[in-house]
Amino acid sequence: MNAEQVTLKIDGRDVTVAKGVTIWEAAQQLGINIPVLCHKPSLNPVGVCRVCVVDVGARVYAASCVRPAENGMNVQTTSERLERDRKTLVEMLLADHPAPCEKHKQTHTCELELLAEKFQILQPLPKGQPVPEPRYWSPTFLSRGQDLKNALLPEDLSPRRAQKGTDFSNPSIAIDHRACILCDRCVRACTEVKHNNVIGRMGKGYSASISFDTNMPMGTSSCVNCGECMISCPTGAITSKQEVGVQLETGEKLTVEQMLEIPIFQGISSEFLKRNEGCVVKRKYKKGEIVCREGEFGSTAFYILNGKADVFINTPMAHVKSDKGASGGFFSRFKHFLVGKKDDPREEGARKFIPIDAPVDLAMDNPIAQILPEELFGEMTCLTFQPRSATVRAAEDCEMLEMLRSVLQVLQKNKKFREQLEANYRERALGQHLRSVPIFGGIDDPKFVDQLKQRVELVHFDPGQAIIREGAEGDAFYLIRVGCVKVSKNLPGGDLVLSYLTRGEFFGEMALLDRSPRTATVSALDHVEIVKIRKTDFDFMLDWFEDLRPKIEAEAKKRKEMTERMTRLAPSTSLDDFLAQGLMHAQSLLLLDLERCVRCDECVRACADAHDGVTRLVREGLRFDKYLVATSCRSCMDPLCMVGCPVGSIRRKESLEVIIEDWCIGCGLCAQQCPYGNINMHHFQVQGEDPEHAGVKKAVQKQKATLCDLCTDLKEPSCVYACPHDAAHRVNARDFFTELTTQQQ
Amino acid sequence: MLCRELYEIQEKYGYIPEKEMKDLARRNNVPLYEVYGVATFYPGYRVTPPPKAQINICRDFPCHLRGAVKLRDKIEEMVREVGGEGVVVGGVSCLGQCDGAPAVQINDASYARKSEKEILALVQEAIAGKKLHEQHFEPMAKGPFKSDPYEGGEKYGALKALGQSKDYDGIIKKLKEAGLRGMGGAGFPTGVKWDGVRNCKSDEKYIVCNADEAEVATFKDREIMKSLPHLVVEGMAIAGLVTGATQGYIYIRHEYHDQIHSMNEEIKRAREAGILGANCAGSGQRYDMEVFMSPGGYVQGEESALLEAIEGKRGQPRVKPPFPVFVGLYGKPTVINNVETLAYVAPILIKGMDWWKAQGKNGCVGLKWIGVSGHVKKPGVFEVPMGTTYREAIFDLCGGMLGDKPIKAFAPSGPSGGFLPASMLDLPMDFQKMSEAGSMLGSGAIVAIAEGNDMVELALNATQFYRNESCGKCVPCRVGSQKMVDVIYRVMEGKGKKDDYETITRLSDTMLMTSICGLGQVVAAPIDSVVKHFKPELDAKIKG
Repeated sequence: MNAEQVTLKIDGRDVTVAKGVTIWEAAQQLGINIPVLCHKPSLNPVGVCRVCVVDVGARVYAASCVRPAENGMNVQTTSERLERDRKTLVEMLLADHPAPCEKHKQTHTCELELLAEKFQILQPLPKGQPVPEPRYWSPTFLSRGQDLKNALLPEDLSPRRAQKGTDFSNPSIAIDHRACILCDRCVRACTEVKHNNVIGRMGKGYSASISFDTNMPMGTSSCVNCGECMISCPTGAITSKQEVGVQLETGEKLTVEQMLEIPIFQGISSEFLKRNEGCVVKRKYKKGEIVCREGEFGSTAFYILNGKADVFINTPMAHVKSDKGASGGFFSRFKHFLVGKKDDPREEGARKFIPIDAPVDLAMDNPIAQILPEELFGEMTCLTFQPRSATVRAAEDCEMLEMLRSVLQVLQKNKKFREQLEANYRERALGQHLRSVPIFGGIDDPKFVDQLKQRVELVHFDPGQAIIREGAEGDAFYLIRVGCVKVSKNLPGGDLVLSYLTRGEFFGEMALLDRSPRTATVSALDHVEIVKIRKTDFDFMLDWFEDLRPKIEAEAKKRKEMTERMTRLAPSTSLDDFLAQGLMHAQSLLLLDLERCVRCDECVRACADAHDGVTRLVREGLRFDKYLVATSCRSCMDPLCMVGCPVGSIRRKESLEVIIEDWCIGCGLCAQQCPYGNINMHHFQVQGEDPEHAGVKKAVQKQKATLCDLCTDLKEPSCVYACPHDAAHRVNARDFFTELTTQQQ
Repeated sequence: MLCRELYEIQEKYGYIPEKEMKDLARRNNVPLYEVYGVATFYPGYRVTPPPKAQINICRDFPCHLRGAVKLRDKIEEMVREVGGEGVVVGGVSCLGQCDGAPAVQINDASYARKSEKEILALVQEAIAGKKLHEQHFEPMAKGPFKSDPYEGGEKYGALKALGQSKDYDGIIKKLKEAGLRGMGGAGFPTGVKWDGVRNCKSDEKYIVCNADEAEVATFKDREIMKSLPHLVVEGMAIAGLVTGATQGYIYIRHEYHDQIHSMNEEIKRAREAGILGANCAGSGQRYDMEVFMSPGGYVQGEESALLEAIEGKRGQPRVKPPFPVFVGLYGKPTVINNVETLAYVAPILIKGMDWWKAQGKNGCVGLKWIGVSGHVKKPGVFEVPMGTTYREAIFDLCGGMLGDKPIKAFAPSGPSGGFLPASMLDLPMDFQKMSEAGSMLGSGAIVAIAEGNDMVELALNATQFYRNESCGKCVPCRVGSQKMVDVIYRVMEGKGKKDDYETITRLSDTMLMTSICGLGQVVAAPIDSVVKHFKPELDAKIKG
């Protein structure tokens, strides 16, 4: 006999295998399948589930998956006792397992539950039907009485897996710790197979669990979404987030093989792509065909395979203006009409471009541009369900991939795809993007862009991640490429949101100009792509382009003053509730003196009369002392209305008041988001270009958002004027509360 | 060594901040998850800042029998009264101070052998944020000891003689003939183990002394390391020369501050005297050793889990075979022996095999260190002839039962040997006879239990200890220990069902046969012994 071979008996049958082969593998050669949960032939065995134990004639059983076969061994893989012990192990695991778990529900492939069915612990049931509780005992963590605590000192050993529950932070992979049986398959898949080194075990004993890095949510850990853990998981603990039904119904479905032929999908695990079949389709567009319309809701992104497309905004460039009617008098109906900036110029800064959800921005004076092959658009709509920011029309016959979020996020984590997008961005859009920053706007020197193009860093941030922290040293200047960030300052009363910035806006200049620590924290609200200009490059720019310094300094000064003003407002009172409600920031707060108010609702009617019969005022709200703060725009501390505006047309003016810019596309997102219901949508009939027939004009219904306009055209807001009891006042919040608190003291 | 570095970080910050974990991972070129996994595995580490004061009361049964519950209540009440913000009161696994029960741990230092008043005074100081004076424990066992061949004279005689003779095979032969067996509990013949390592071909071999002593009620090694540290160093050095190992580690539980100190001092002295080092005792061979402070946990006493800890991993037992004799520390052949076993090597070599054999009684060979706690008048540590009966230990050495109450039961080896009825007190401390009686000699951790105590409650307490200390690697132990606690808990609550007997048997059988290590295999020992010897108590609860 060869020295490198061993011969043993398994269930009475002889088998000869190479030295080092495990009993489990040797049994396979004989066609004996020993049940197992933690072992998978592609992974190194660890022998932790113990389901594969066999009798080798020793004091205790041996785990066959990890025990090497030895010469002369006599192995029993089955006996009444072995079967009973295996069954008990499965029962134990099942007691803490939410049967049916997600995997079993969807595909009937949870290995634990299949084994339970085989052992007749669980009856094989039709899909989706509830499963009876295990026979012996029910999940422990559901009840843990306190009454015997003193007598017995039972340790409050927290069942961490139950506490941790689910983790949906990863875009494409769902974690359900309750279904986890700690088989360590994902741990091995992540480290041994893929060398990504993210998943491990944390804690000890019954409260042990798998965790990512330092117990981070999977979505913010260093996970690269390779999907290997999901493929290796025997239960519903790690599953694909792709939910049944959210497939793209139309378009040409791509098979895994077809996907892998497209360069951007190369390098992604084919199992992962398989799970996403139907979540990406190929579409053909004839010249002139509309791909998507501005203001529409959607959940997909597009990637152009070939052909060019036009992207444009089809809503008139104007804002809503109210004017008193010809008949005069305050209670006559006001007319609302759209005015453009030529007729009614407003403070708009030096903005020349409208930021949209595509690699290009649109010029303010001619909002149309082209998107080229190998470019992606609709990214923000897909990731955060923002309304479409612009209309896209095929400029020639095109082929595009339309994809759902799961696919886009897998792609975004794919190095190759990112590199390609970033190269495109640098080549095609960065220059324009840099120029679209108001302060860089006047620089026509081509060297400026050339200098920066290759030097900037393109960085990605996940929702909630801090980009810069207050108090830290300033080391870079940032320009937002995709997404929305929150600028906040930590104050004794809590975090004060200074502003939300979106595509095309910049931050981080102050600390670079005066070498002071960062004055605010900037964190990502959604998936944010940032252009980072390092301090050395920034300084170099300032030296090279002399015009730049005064511009940046002026902007920095403005922001600094605004910050100072806002922070001065905040700590002057400890009225936490009011702060939390954002009232301190109301420039013009409508207060109703409840001692005088007889609840006649004249103010509400006056507001309705002044605004097309729709009131922007509700006589409800927060009470403070004898005052009622009526609902109208409060220019909140945390202006949620500004989050997610697809074209960034709602913003805070320097006077802190919230304003809606002319390029509002009327999607209505801000109105939905205002927690106080203070934003209204106005409908207008306008002559517009028919998007489907270039050059043809037709009457179309458009809408624009409006806020309480403080009746700025009148001497006094109509609500205040209308109050017959002198109970309604428009006041500056800060002055008012300062006075009030002084009085109280 | 990752574990040591983590300790250093914790010394500096009071806990292990995430940033330091990241740096540590980078420095050691290990994945971040691994550092985090290690830091959250061991009870000795914190990954969040410590509270102002942490007061832990031992929750295991020797302290439980001596009023730990009442003490914990008082402490909790005290903290509530002063509104002790930032003060955390909790439980802790056996601190190895059962002879001074109830033991408490305040801010990582152990306090015992104190009256309730004294303990409460300490707690008060801790709540006030004062730094406490650490308690140093005088040896409980008084010499002279039969196992100390030097009795205060010149030490290391056996090692020095070996350094000259280099008769390594002779040592193994002598140990085999003397019948020296592992004193940590398993009783494996020491000579056979050493022979195995000696016969391995390897560029490096290790000697590891298991001084983790974290099994409930076990505290005898505590005394040996305090009173006879030179015998431990000598035993390890002899093992080093015999097997060809050049490096040794003595793995001491982190709560044993005094012992870590005494062993470090002894190693220093030995090194200065040329006993350890490049020319170990004049043999021309290198052998040196150091103390490794355990990051905590009972399961580290399992030999392969202990090796994992030294290697800086999560202290989970390895699947065996291969055994550490062949694949041990860093994959090299390794001798792992208990403190007591190693301490007997020099006296056997000096005084001879015949002397050793004559030390035993009732047909047994050699000596045994035992620790007696529970309801006895004078708890303590004793060096006794092997074969001494449990009755002699409790009634002769410890002065009988507290308050002269009748004895109901005793645990011969902490929780691992289960609870035996008073009728079995005349059993001798003998590996063979104890095994035949369905129990075990184990580590000589004897606990006396007076009449009037609830055996089911004690079984629950002991099972909870295993549940708390399970490493969680394998299913039967991780889940089974919790399910066993659940079943007994349910019975204690009066909600027991008839088929709970079957549930207990099935859990017990499965854990015994399928667990990776000894911990999982003995989880059911306490409840099994209650079923066997005290079934009426269980019946009363299940029926009622």
